[in-house]
Amino acid sequence: MPSPRATAPGAPTPAAGDTTAGTTAARVSATRRSTGERAAAFVVKWGFVAVTAALILFFLITEPNFRTVDNVFGMLKYIAPTAIAGLGVMLAMTVGGIDLSVGASAGFAVSIAAWTMVIGNQVGGVAVSVVLVCGLLIGALNAFLIVVARIPDLLATLTTMFVIVGLKLIIVDGKSISSQMTLSNGTTAPGKFTADFLWLDRGSIGPVPVPVILFLVITVVLWFLLERTRWGRALFAVGANPEAARLAGIRVQWYRTLAYMGCGLLASIAGLLLAARIGQGDVSAGNSLLLDAVAVALVGVSVLGIGRPNAWGTALGAVLIAVMVTGFTMLGLPYYAQDFGKGVVLLVALLFSFTFSRRRTVVTAGSTTSAS
Amino acid sequence: MAITRTGAVLTALVAVSVLGLSACSQSSGTTESTTAATSAPTASAALPAPFDGDPLKVALVRQSGAGDYFEAWGAGAQAQAAFANIDLQVTDARNDNAKHASDLEQAIASKPDAIIVDHGQTDTLQPLITEAVDAGIPIIVYDLALTDSEGVITSSQSDESMASGVLDQLIDDVGDGAKVGYVSAEGFAALDRRAVVWNDYVAEHNLDVLFSTGKVSESTATDNIPLVDAALKQNPDVQAIFAPYDEITKGTVQAVIQNNLQDKVKVYGIDISNADIEVMTADGSPWVATSATDPAAVGAGVVRALALSLAGELDETDVQFPAKTITQQFLADNSVTNVTELRAAEPSLELSDTLVTDWLPAVSE
Repeated sequence: MPSPRATAPGAPTPAAGDTTAGTTAARVSATRRSTGERAAAFVVKWGFVAVTAALILFFLITEPNFRTVDNVFGMLKYIAPTAIAGLGVMLAMTVGGIDLSVGASAGFAVSIAAWTMVIGNQVGGVAVSVVLVCGLLIGALNAFLIVVARIPDLLATLTTMFVIVGLKLIIVDGKSISSQMTLSNGTTAPGKFTADFLWLDRGSIGPVPVPVILFLVITVVLWFLLERTRWGRALFAVGANPEAARLAGIRVQWYRTLAYMGCGLLASIAGLLLAARIGQGDVSAGNSLLLDAVAVALVGVSVLGIGRPNAWGTALGAVLIAVMVTGFTMLGLPYYAQDFGKGVVLLVALLFSFTFSRRRTVVTAGSTTSAS
Repeated sequence: MAITRTGAVLTALVAVSVLGLSACSQSSGTTESTTAATSAPTASAALPAPFDGDPLKVALVRQSGAGDYFEAWGAGAQAQAAFANIDLQVTDARNDNAKHASDLEQAIASKPDAIIVDHGQTDTLQPLITEAVDAGIPIIVYDLALTDSEGVITSSQSDESMASGVLDQLIDDVGDGAKVGYVSAEGFAALDRRAVVWNDYVAEHNLDVLFSTGKVSESTATDNIPLVDAALKQNPDVQAIFAPYDEITKGTVQAVIQNNLQDKVKVYGIDISNADIEVMTADGSPWVATSATDPAAVGAGVVRALALSLAGELDETDVQFPAKTITQQFLADNSVTNVTELRAAEPSLELSDTLVTDWLPAVSE
C-alpha cells in the first residue's frame, strides 16, 4: 500500500527528515535546499522536543523537589487521565475527525462506576466492565451519528457531550454519589468504592503507579497499531482522503466507526482513573478534561514535525503540560499564569504545525491531517 | 519571508509583554494604595524557631481560589505568611476534585515544612491526609470534614454561628410560619453544616419551604440565576430566601430583581466581600442580611494557627473563627461601601484577638 499521505502534484517540497514520504521528488528537492531551509526544517522537527527538554532541565536545576522520583511519577500520574483521553482524541483525528465528548464520557464513567459500586453494591471488576461497555456504546453512538446519520463530527460529538452529561445527571439525580449517602427512599447506600477499584489510582506495581503503567501501555499499543499495522495505515488513509481510501478498497465507514469506538473506550478508561482518584461519584468530574485532551492531541500533531496525529507526540504533549503545571507551581506562579503558559505552548505547537513547517497541514472540520 | 515572519513574531511578543507589564503596574498600584491606607501591625517580639532562618516552605492546596471570598482568603493567607517568613506554594484545583487530589499528592511528594488544605471532598482527600500525617508533615485543613482527624489541625469559620445569626434575623423580619425558599447545594462541608442549622430553624419555626434549589459550579453566581428564576416563577408569593453562600446569594438576588420581586422577597446570605457589599447596598437590593467573617482575616487566621502549632504554641486541634451578622441597615447607617470600611465600622471582624501572640499579630493585607 502506498504512503497514506497522498502526494499531490505540484505540492510544496516536504520537510527534511520526512522518512515516510520518501518520494523521488522529495529527495531531489532536498539536495537543492538552502541552509536556511534546512535550519527551519531542523527547528520544526526538534524545536518542540528541545523546548520540553529545556523546561525539564530548567526545573531540574532550579527546583530540588522536581528531581525526586516521587515527583516524576506524581506528574505522570497526575496527567495520565488527560493523556489517555488525549490519545482518544488523537485516534478520532487519525480518521479526520474530532471527539468533543471525551470529557463528558469520562465524567459519565465516574458517575457510572460510583453508581455501580455504591448503589448497586457491586465489586470493582463489575464497575470497570460496566464503564468500559458504556464507553464503547458512547463511541458507537458517535460513530452512528457521524457515519450513518452523516452529521459533521464537531456537531455530532458536541451534541453527544450534552446528551451524556444530561443522562449522567438524570441517573444520579444530579448528585455526587458517595458512600453512606442517603438515597431517595430514605435508606443509606449499601456499597462503597472497593479497594480493588481504588487500586487503579492508588496502587502501584513496583515503584510505578498504576495510572502511569496504563498511560505507557496504551501509548505503546496505539503507536504499534497506528505505525506498524495495516489498520493504522488504513486509518490515516481514511483521514487523508476518504475517497481515495475507498477506491483503494478500504472499508472507510468501518474504520471511522472503529476510531470513534476506540476513542469512547479510552475516554472511559480516563474516567475510571478519575473515579479512583476522587473516590466518589463527583458530578463535576471530567468537566476540565476536554480542553486539555484536545490540546495534547493537537500538540502531538506538531511534535517531531510529523504533522499528523500520533501516539508518542500526544504522550509527550501530555508530559509537557504536567511538567509545566508542576514546575510553575513549584516556582510559585499562580494557576492563571499556568493557563497562559499552556496557551503559549499550544500556540508554539500550532506555529510549528502550520506556519513554519513547509509541509501543508490541512485542517478540515475539526480535523488535522497532513499532506506532503 | 523568514524576516517578515520573525518581525511578526517579535511584534507579537513585544505586544504581549507590554500588556503583561501594564497589567502588573495596575495591580501593584492598587495594592500599594490599600496598604498605605491602613497602618500595618508590627510584632513586638522577634520570630522564634522555626521561623527565624530560611523561609519555611508551606504548600497551600486549594479546591478553588476563584470568587471574591476565596480571592480575599488567599490574599489574607499570603499576607500573614509573608509576615511569618513562610513561603506559600499555592495550587488551585479550580473545583476539579481529581486535580485537588493530585495537587495534594504532589505537595506531599515535595516534602514541604507543612501543608494547608483549603476545602475539598472528604472521600477524595482523607487517604492523602492520612498519608501526609504518616509522613510526618504538619497539616492543617480549613473547611474540610474529615473522618479521621488524628494528627491534623482542623479549622473552619463557625458555620453554626453564621447560619443561626442570619436566620434569627430572618425570623425577626418575616416571623414563624413564613413562606420561604432555600438555595444551596449538597456535598460541601460548609454548606452541609449550614443546612443542618437551616433544617433546625425550619422545624422550630414552622417555616413553609416552597422551594429548594441551587448548585455550585465554576460560575456559581451565574448558574444559579436560571434555577432561582424558575423557582420564583412558580412561587412568586415567597417571602424570604435563604441562600447561604455569597456566590449563590448573588445569583439569587439577580433572579429576584429579574422577576421584579425585590419589594416582596427578602434574601438572606452568608459571607461578605467588596462585591457583595456593593450588591447589598445597591438601590432596592433584596439582600437584607448576611453573616460575615472577613475572609482575608480568616485566611490569615489559618496561617497563624499553623504557625503557632509549628512553634509549639497552639493548644487546640480544632480552630473556629467566629462570625458577625451584618444587615443592609447597618451598612447604610455607617455608609459602608467596602470591606475596609466595614472593618472600621465593625472592628471585631479583623480577628485581631484570635490566635495572636507577641511575635505574631494579625496581618491580613
